[in-house]
Amino acid sequence: MLLLPKFDYEEPKSLPEALAMLSELKGNGKVIAGGTDLLVNMKKGTVRPACLVSLKKVEALREISGEEGGLSVGSHVTISEIADSDRVASTFPVLARSASCLGSPLIRNRATIGGNIVTARPAADLPPALLVLGARVELRGKDKDRTVSLDGFFTGPGTSVIETGEVLTRIVIPSPPPFTGADYIKLGHRAALEIAIVAVSSRLTLDKPDGVIVDARVILSSVAPTAIHAVSAEKALMGQRPSEDLFAKAASLAVGDSSPITDMRGGAEYRRDMVNTLVKRTLLRAFKDARDTKGGNA
Amino acid sequence: MKKLITLTVNDTEYEVAVAPNKTLTQVLREDLNLLGTKEGCGVGDCGACTVVLDGKPVNSCLVLAVQADGSRIKTIEGVAHGDSLHPVQETFVELGAIQCGFCTPGMILSATSLLEKNPHPTEQEVRQALSGNLCRCTGYQKIVEAVQEASRRMKG
Repeated sequence: MLLLPKFDYEEPKSLPEALAMLSELKGNGKVIAGGTDLLVNMKKGTVRPACLVSLKKVEALREISGEEGGLSVGSHVTISEIADSDRVASTFPVLARSASCLGSPLIRNRATIGGNIVTARPAADLPPALLVLGARVELRGKDKDRTVSLDGFFTGPGTSVIETGEVLTRIVIPSPPPFTGADYIKLGHRAALEIAIVAVSSRLTLDKPDGVIVDARVILSSVAPTAIHAVSAEKALMGQRPSEDLFAKAASLAVGDSSPITDMRGGAEYRRDMVNTLVKRTLLRAFKDARDTKGGNA
Repeated sequence: MKKLITLTVNDTEYEVAVAPNKTLTQVLREDLNLLGTKEGCGVGDCGACTVVLDGKPVNSCLVLAVQADGSRIKTIEGVAHGDSLHPVQETFVELGAIQCGFCTPGMILSATSLLEKNPHPTEQEVRQALSGNLCRCTGYQKIVEAVQEASRRMKG
């Protein structure tokens, strides 16, 4: 049996109390949310916090609400709440789709959206969809609060701009423009409890249903130290009229934007091929949704 | 330092003093002597430790007992009514969905949670709901059939 090392456990009643506590603990305190990643790492001995701070009593962190046509999601909302939320499904189906790909039903009932972001795993399921949606994250500290774009949040595998004592409290997704569609595809060896071999999320915005592409976002996951924009693919799509040929060209450019490694889950060459395939498929679906949903539906 | 927590397990309230580093699996087995909950991998991959926490099936090996303070928990011991088995337990026995039995408590709890939420699941929905519970004996076919048969029986 894998045992947990000794640690203290605190359940502050409010966010300010939690922030004061974390600031006092300096690097020795860690926030525990769902624990599905943290407790595994603690059992394996890769992290050894002296104190775990649970924010389960801070109710505001568990709310999903609409915000000016967009969405505000508390960091402690669970992955299954996101996957099952009617509000998420109707405004940002790509986010619900990516949530339903994470782990297993048992894991999804505990794991949180905030946890899936702050752990900064290169193969995490929610960041690709959140990146195409232009999400921003709210970071609260004892003495300062800031909001950063998710685009600038990840700095490497397991690292981000979050500072000691800061807590990710909320994810804000802006209202989608009209004629917008998006998709997320995760490739794994099996459907559940799987870490992506390659995952891609794409979003297209058209100026009118049969118009040209006015905004294109293509995010590649598991093929670089962090989830990345396929910058040359995005550039090739902008201002163009959508077509299968255009998507094929963008997909082959995206391969050049990726830098996959070979590991137990897949070879680099296979991953490059799959980047090509998945970019093409996500663009086709995103285009279909953008054309068919006039109200701005990502 | 130990913390005093309250757990309502299978409708019985318990007050337990637990160290923060004890998982819910450990407290159920070691402090409450409810040995039906199994620990397999200990890292959330196998589902042998599944319990229903405030209405949702979870891996109890990845829940600290202190995090569960104040919660309602259902373990495999709370599924049958007295001597009469739950329909899912009956069909598991009748259709050969149990071999070594180690995954069974977790399978039953994931299956009963599914049927409460969705009384008439498709085969695909059954497979999805059980996708966090691994079985190394049956090849899953019998388990899926047992859940579907239980769903049919519960209809009437």
